[in-house]
Amino acid sequence: MLWTGLSPDEARTYIEQKDKSKRDKRMTMTEAVQTFVKDGDNIGVGGFVNSRQPVAIAHEIIRQGRKDLILSFQSAGLVPDYLLGAMALEPEHLSVQRMEFAYCGHEYAGTSSMLRYMTENEKIFIEDWTNFSMSARFKAGSMGIPFIPIRSGQGGDIEKCNRSQTTQCPFSGRTILLIPACHPDVGILHVQEADLYGNCRIKGQTFTCPEIAMASKNVIVTCDKLIDHDIIAMDPTRTSIPFFAVDAVVELPLGSYPTVCHDIHYYDKIHLEHFKGLTDAFRKGDRDSLAAYYDAYIYGVADTDQFIDKIPYNQLKYARQIESRNLELQTHLTPPTA
Amino acid sequence: MTDYATDYSRGEMIVTAGARLLENNKVIFAGTGLPMVGITLAQLTNGPGIIPVFEAGAVGPTLDRSLPLSVGDSRTTSRANYIQGLNSAFELTQRGFIDVGFIGGAEIDPYGNLNSTMIGRFPENYMKPVVRLPGSGGAGDMSCSCTYTILIVQHEPRRFVEKLQYYTSIGHMDGSKGARQKAGLQGKGPKRVITSRALMGFDDETKRMKILATMPGETVESVQAVTGFDLMVDEDVYEFEPPTKEEIRLIRDVIDPTQIFCKR
Repeated sequence: MLWTGLSPDEARTYIEQKDKSKRDKRMTMTEAVQTFVKDGDNIGVGGFVNSRQPVAIAHEIIRQGRKDLILSFQSAGLVPDYLLGAMALEPEHLSVQRMEFAYCGHEYAGTSSMLRYMTENEKIFIEDWTNFSMSARFKAGSMGIPFIPIRSGQGGDIEKCNRSQTTQCPFSGRTILLIPACHPDVGILHVQEADLYGNCRIKGQTFTCPEIAMASKNVIVTCDKLIDHDIIAMDPTRTSIPFFAVDAVVELPLGSYPTVCHDIHYYDKIHLEHFKGLTDAFRKGDRDSLAAYYDAYIYGVADTDQFIDKIPYNQLKYARQIESRNLELQTHLTPPTA
Repeated sequence: MTDYATDYSRGEMIVTAGARLLENNKVIFAGTGLPMVGITLAQLTNGPGIIPVFEAGAVGPTLDRSLPLSVGDSRTTSRANYIQGLNSAFELTQRGFIDVGFIGGAEIDPYGNLNSTMIGRFPENYMKPVVRLPGSGGAGDMSCSCTYTILIVQHEPRRFVEKLQYYTSIGHMDGSKGARQKAGLQGKGPKRVITSRALMGFDDETKRMKILATMPGETVESVQAVTGFDLMVDEDVYEFEPPTKEEIRLIRDVIDPTQIFCKR
């Protein structure tokens, strides 16, 4: 059996010997990525499509450059596009060898041109799953079991493309699909709130962030707000991820911008669609425009502060305003134009 | 006398048909796009008790903060009853809580199987497809475990094909008796297919697609002409009622005023 990332035994052994102390885990983004993201790593990507994607972490991985990465996620848009775009431009600086996923695209805004470019030119290895099977793979990892049975994902071509196996249920006799746990080397997540020990509070949908955190060997978390530990202790039922699963806490307001972050800001559609347009153009032969974007927004800046400095204030303001307003109040706002 | 609209788009026809097919008080699992508009239209007309579920984790919201652009959009959580994540949503599906799933695809075959993975030869060119599509997402799970599904596909000959290039979301499989049961699936599979040309169902015996109604302005012949396989025709085939002025008003003024999904 091929285990991309850690095998269940390796994952268990790692956590047994890990320092689980409740200590200050604050780091700079540079330090967090230097410490926990290695060449060849299987990266568990948090969020869902263009919701709460760990954009700032992806930017830093691109700045530092890594080789032969494996990306594991259920559905994602901007983060795989950023990483695949970096590879398309400079494969000797950053490369992705494999993706295990259910959906790579942008929903209302269309398909992923970077996924198309990479697959249609046979530059990466693909393993298709469904949203539930990828989510359940992380869940199996988080539960410490080597596989989990599910009632979907069989009967068609998807099961022929991945490591799932159908078998007879020993109890009911029905056909059932068994899928292997996923233990990423590193989980990359953005959350709204965390304390300095790594206790995380997710608002709105959790997607599969808690499962990725519990299944991964190491976890880097960026948070919009670093909150006092007393706030966590006052209402621990609100904690979505416990501190000892987290290895690095980076306080980074707007760390998932321009994707939506529940209760913090909505999508910046202008920026998302601008980048999407450049990837579309790349696939049709225009390398320079995409390269100029990377030079301006990723390689040309030291960190996320400088990336956000480049976003016009009226775009930031509008994304913030519409996130918390109902339709009637929204109609009194003037959307920014590109 | 019902006041019918005379001016409406294909998308608006599909949305209206989708909304009318939904029974009140049912739990509906919806993907991004026209299904979101359809569910909201149903909530405002025949189905005020409809309970939407979105796969990223929101259960029972009211889409009153404008239409979500994604099933993971924060807007899907507006006035929700319960919010978790993807595992929770699909566990609900697996457990039998989801009555209807709305799904789509790039290609559909006579048995309601769908392709949303790739165009090209499978398995030979899986790693180098002619066109790589985004992938299953949650459709492959909804098709297996929702009690039944309603499919929305663009009605073109190249999309309605006898054999799919890749089988992503499972319908009635090869049409043989008990095929879904044998594969271990729990849901009953596709019940309806909605396009701008026709409303279709599946024959009880052969499980092949069958025209139940033609959309206004279409005929059985015109529908067959844009379909890449032979359609069966229900003996009681009828013309679907056009959208009413009120349905169109709700879509345009209330649900999708900025034409995110329902272009005019």
